[in-house]
This record gives sequence, C-alpha cells and structure tokens, in this order.
Amino acid sequence: MKKVILGMLILISILTLSACKGGEVDERIEIEFWHLSPVGDKSYSQVKQIIRDFNESQDVYYVNGTGFSFWDYWDKLNIAVASNTAPDVGFSTIDDNIHRAERGVLYNISDFMATDIAAGDDTLDIDLFYPSQLRFLTYEDDLYGLPFTATTRMLYYNLDHFAEIGLTEADVPTTWAELETVAKQLDKVDGTDIERIGFDPTYGQGTYMGYLWQAGLDFFNEDLQVTLNTQEHKDILEWMVTFNKEFSRSQLNAFGEANTILGIDPFAAGRVSMMIATDGLYQTLQDYDSSMNYAVAPIPLPDEDGIRVNWGSGFSLELYKNGNELNNKARGSWEFTKYLMSTSVQVEYSEAVGWLMGNKDAMDIVAEGNPIITALVAECEYAVDKVYIPYAPAWHGGDWFQYYDELKAGKLTVQQTLDNARDWYNEKQTNYNDTH
Amino acid sequence: METLKKTSTRKNAFKKLRSEEKKLGYVFASPWLIGLLTLGAFPILFSLYLSFTNYDMISKPDFIWLTNYRILLTNDSLFYKALFNTLYHVAISVPLGLVAGILLALLLNSKIKGMAIYRTIYYLPNVVSVVAMSLLWLWLFQPSFGIVNNLLSPIYEFLDMEPLLWYQSSDMSKMTLIIMGLWLVGGSMIIYLAQMQDIPTELYEAADIDGANGLQKIIKITLPLMTPSIFFNFIMGLIGGFQVFTTSYIMTQGGPGNSTYYYSYYLFDKMMVDNAMGMASAMAWILLVITLVITMVALSLNKYVFYLGDQT
Repeated sequence: MKKVILGMLILISILTLSACKGGEVDERIEIEFWHLSPVGDKSYSQVKQIIRDFNESQDVYYVNGTGFSFWDYWDKLNIAVASNTAPDVGFSTIDDNIHRAERGVLYNISDFMATDIAAGDDTLDIDLFYPSQLRFLTYEDDLYGLPFTATTRMLYYNLDHFAEIGLTEADVPTTWAELETVAKQLDKVDGTDIERIGFDPTYGQGTYMGYLWQAGLDFFNEDLQVTLNTQEHKDILEWMVTFNKEFSRSQLNAFGEANTILGIDPFAAGRVSMMIATDGLYQTLQDYDSSMNYAVAPIPLPDEDGIRVNWGSGFSLELYKNGNELNNKARGSWEFTKYLMSTSVQVEYSEAVGWLMGNKDAMDIVAEGNPIITALVAECEYAVDKVYIPYAPAWHGGDWFQYYDELKAGKLTVQQTLDNARDWYNEKQTNYNDTH
Repeated sequence: METLKKTSTRKNAFKKLRSEEKKLGYVFASPWLIGLLTLGAFPILFSLYLSFTNYDMISKPDFIWLTNYRILLTNDSLFYKALFNTLYHVAISVPLGLVAGILLALLLNSKIKGMAIYRTIYYLPNVVSVVAMSLLWLWLFQPSFGIVNNLLSPIYEFLDMEPLLWYQSSDMSKMTLIIMGLWLVGGSMIIYLAQMQDIPTELYEAADIDGANGLQKIIKITLPLMTPSIFFNFIMGLIGGFQVFTTSYIMTQGGPGNSTYYYSYYLFDKMMVDNAMGMASAMAWILLVITLVITMVALSLNKYVFYLGDQT
C-alpha cells in the first residue's frame, strides 16, 4: 500500500512539474514579451489573442507574453534590466529611452531595419510614426525603440455647462484671456461652498512646464542647464496659482477634498467645466458611460503668438540585450516588434486597451467617425515629450512638486519657489557630475 | 572533602548542560543563519561595495571611493531634511507608542466580562494591511469632511480656530502619521499583557496586605516587572522607526513640502527614481551606522531592566 501511495505521489509530482513548463512544447525559439494587460484586466484576452495570432503565423519563433499591472511594471522592469533578466521585448517610456540606449542595454532598431532592406525583406515604414516621438528614441542617429503608443493633452469642456450660461462651442477659449473670461462665468458658488469651478490651471494635467512651452520657455536650456530665472517664468507661475484668487484657500481646499472623496475625476463628476487632461479622460468617460455632452479643443495659448504644443508622453517598444550579442532570439524579437507595430495590430491593440497608438494610419482607422478621438489624434502632431535630464530624471515630478506644493499651500512665494527649485536642480547637477 | 567533590561534579554537569543548550541554540537558529548567509550576506556585502561606486542599475559601476558619502554628508540638502524627519518621527512615536501600549495593556488586564473580545478588537488593526489602513486614515483625517475634524469641531469653535489640516499641512503632517501609527499599538500591547500576566500574584497580595492602592501597585510592582518587555518594545520601536516608509509613501508621498519625506523614502527614490544605486547603498550604510549607534546607546539602559529570575 505504501509503495502505491509513493508511486502516486511521484507521478503527481512529475505531472505537476511538467505542467509548469506550459502547454506548448516545441522546437521554436521562445521570445519573452512583457506587457501591461495582466490576468483579470479587461484587455487581457484580446492581448493574449494578438500574441496567439503571431505564434500561429510562425514556424521559427514563439512569443510568451506576461502581463503586469501598470503600478508594478516599472520597478520590475528596472530591476530586470539591471540584472540582465529583462524580457526580449517590452514596453518602456519614450522620454528616457536615450538613457538605456547610451548604456548599451538595447538592440539598435536601425540595424535591424538596415538588415531587412539589405536582404530585400519588408521592414517598418518609419513615416507611419510621429517625428517628435522618433526624435526621443534616437541616439547617435540610430533608433533604439519604437513609439508603441502616443499621448496628448487637450482642453476638455462641458457643453452642458456652456449651454447653461448661454455659451456655445464658438465660445470655447483659445487664449488665456478668453479662458479666464469664460471660466469666471462658469464658476458656481453656493454660499461659501464652491459647487463648480470653470477652470483651474493646476487641475488635471495642467502643468507648469506645459504652460512654459506654450510661451517658448522651459525648465532647462539646450545644454540641460536649469533656467527658471526670467520674469516670464515668474509671471506664468503666478498666473497658474492666482487664477482662482477670488476664492479663499480653505474654499479651494474643501472643493479639492470633495473631489477626492467622490473618487471620480472632477471633470467627469461635472464639478469642473473645463480641464486639461490626457486622452485617458476620454476612456474614463467612456467607462462611466457618461451622458455628459462634452468636446475637446487645443489648450488655450498665452496669447495670439503662443506656441501650439502639449506634453505628449508614450510607451516605447524596446528590445533588451540582457548582455547578449545579436542572436536568433533578437531576430525573433524584431519580427515580433514589426508585427506589433504594424497598422492592423496597432488597431487591434488600441481597441483592446483604449490607448492612442504610435502608428498614425492605425489611429486614422480607430478615429473614423469619432470626433473626440479624431481631435485627440490630430493634436498628437503638436505633442512633445519632456526632456530627459540625467542628473534629475524626476525633474518634473518629485523634484519640482516639493516646492510647487508649498507654493499652492501658500508657504512659499512664486520667487521663492523658483529660486528653491533652481538651487535644487543645480545641487543635483553638481552631485551628479561629481560621481560621473 | 566530600562537599567539595559534590560541588565540582555539579559544576561540570552545569557546564555540560550549558554546552548542550548552546548547541541546541545553534540548531534552532540554523534555518535563519543559513538563510542569512546564503541569501542575505551577499547582498549586504555587495551593497557595501556599491556604496563606493556610481552604479546606476544599468552601466558597469565605477569605483569612486567615498564620494557618495561625502556628497550625502556635505552637499545634499534633502539628506538632512529626510534624516531630521525620521529622527522627529522616532523621537515622538517610540515613547508615545510605549506609553499608549502600556496604558492599553493595563486597561485590558482587568478581569471583566468579554475581555477576550476587547483584546481581539485592539489587536485587529495589526492584521490589516498597511495600505488599507493608510487609505482609511486618509479619509478620517480629511480636513473638510473627515470624522476627526467633525468630532473636534466643538473644540475649534470654542477656541475660535481654523480646523487642523492634518496631513495636508507641512506643520501637522508628521504628527498626523505618528497619531495614525498609534492605531497599531495593539501589537506591543499583547507583549505587555503577556508579561503582566506572568507577574506572580503573591506580590500583589503582599502589597494588598501592606495597604497599597492600585496606582502604587502599578508603579511599584507592575511597571518594574514589565521593564523587560518595555525595553524590548523600545529597541524594536527604535529600529522600526528608522525604517518608516509605507504610510508616507501611500498617504502623503513625502509631502507637503517634504515634511514627511523620511530617510527610507529618500533612499528608495535615490534608487528607483534617480537611478543612483551607489548613492542609495551609501545611504543604507549610513542608516545602519545611525541605527546601530542609537541602539547601542539605548542598550545601555539595560541596567535599569529588572529580570525576575536574576535575583535568585
């Protein structure tokens, strides 16, 4: 009896261990692909199908896809790249691609394309992608990643609110002066409580760097030295934080907290009439099945001479070397990359996850008949990513917010905010130079 | 002569017993020791090496000697800010946690009906995830709509003052997180309670005969006999206090204005945001030295600890 039980245990163990390998056992070269649609995500099945379609078309390569939550993905990828255990193909961020390219952890995409052309094979048509995104993925004249997705920021406006005060789409502001006029008409107050705000430059995706770009300014100059030292820099920041100066700080705090408690985007909740947001807000409104009558427009400019530009980030598709030289795995990764970047698959991916994709032809197909997506796609032409600063990779995030938050709380003046931020960036640069 | 022989045999037997106990001690500790040597020792020593390099998690590390340490100690304004925030947290949260834990344990040491339920309720927060707990307290401390300010509103009115902004104010944020941390005091309370129940009842009976009142019994009997667990919780609180991170990461993201930007948070950002693994490793070693020095100083308080078995 004991022998029977022992035999069964061994058999179960063998079967269990064999199952760990996965269903498919063949001679094909396995490619590891990391994406952002984990099990349980609404897009999981469709992304899995996209990978399956590739595998069914292949005799030589087999792609094994693994999905991670957005919030886990980046730390996992960073650690994996550091330990040469990154996937063969994976998403990363466009703005800091150059950091990885410079350090030699990525395969050179231009080399793959040149090899295709030399062999008379089909290769990717680079004209399908936004030049501004390709620029960020170019290191020493060669491409080290491809723009898998695109993002843009626009002004969302609530037409129901407009109609309520007798305004129409013709009244949508195009300059900051018009924005202020319209916004003040849309404000709604009940006693001391703010019920609705027309617009607030600090809400949603309204960023200081975005407003600076519109005025032809930036945080850093071409030599990556911090600026933030002109009267214009000061004026723009002042404009941002005093836009709703007729309300007290406690009124604005209470309004902001109420938005947080609702747990819904303030524009989606109808508490803000106009707000700068990414294409993600369109998806949010779709998910809520909102009956709100709204539209999107380019972000108003400082004045008629302002520059039409918005912050457009996105995911890059990169091929990780993991310490290896060019091999069959890398060639397979390139085949899969071409497949993922093709127009038809980009359409499928966009429909699965709701992202704007890097392939312009694909987005024309997705946007057909949808005025909001059409407008968002058109604005991608004016989207620019933030520059990568090696000594302060989070210059637009934590490095800036430590002072910006204090300014919004009334603890720092505009001048102090800019001075402190400038000192901090300079300190970081000095320290970085001392260690490199 | 016979007595001397007997004493010597007893001594040898005692020595043998001690040696066997020692061996057994190592056997029981071996799983942890093997884990430390195989899984922990290399990363620990490697981080020491990395602290002398400019490793950015991608490129090959270059040896830069003590540059990371020099920069952190002499030219990094946020280093001292983060260190101050952490010391502030430790200096207030550790004693406060000790006092709250002892008071709770004294309350829950009474012999009233349903005490097991009370003890469970007070311990329950310790099994709740820190993330869930942080989000819950975020709501409770909401300045305009939170329960805390609603409960305090009569006091605000009486004092004619604005409601506290709690975690939204750089003046109050550290204190908010400390107050929130008291919710977990049930963990140390269990240890105090266990020790309290170990105190021989004869001591209280003798005190009763001598006419001692409740407070006198607590001061003269309970607290002195609880010093081993107080000391244990104090040391553990110190070590844990220097590693404070999660609540700030979830609730305040280090803000407002870096007021809750703790040392471990800065270390994390150095590694994950600035890609400065070498610098982060140096920070980890500096933290180790600070914790070690403070713990060693704290360990000198051991002479005030009363161990019940020692006097026999």
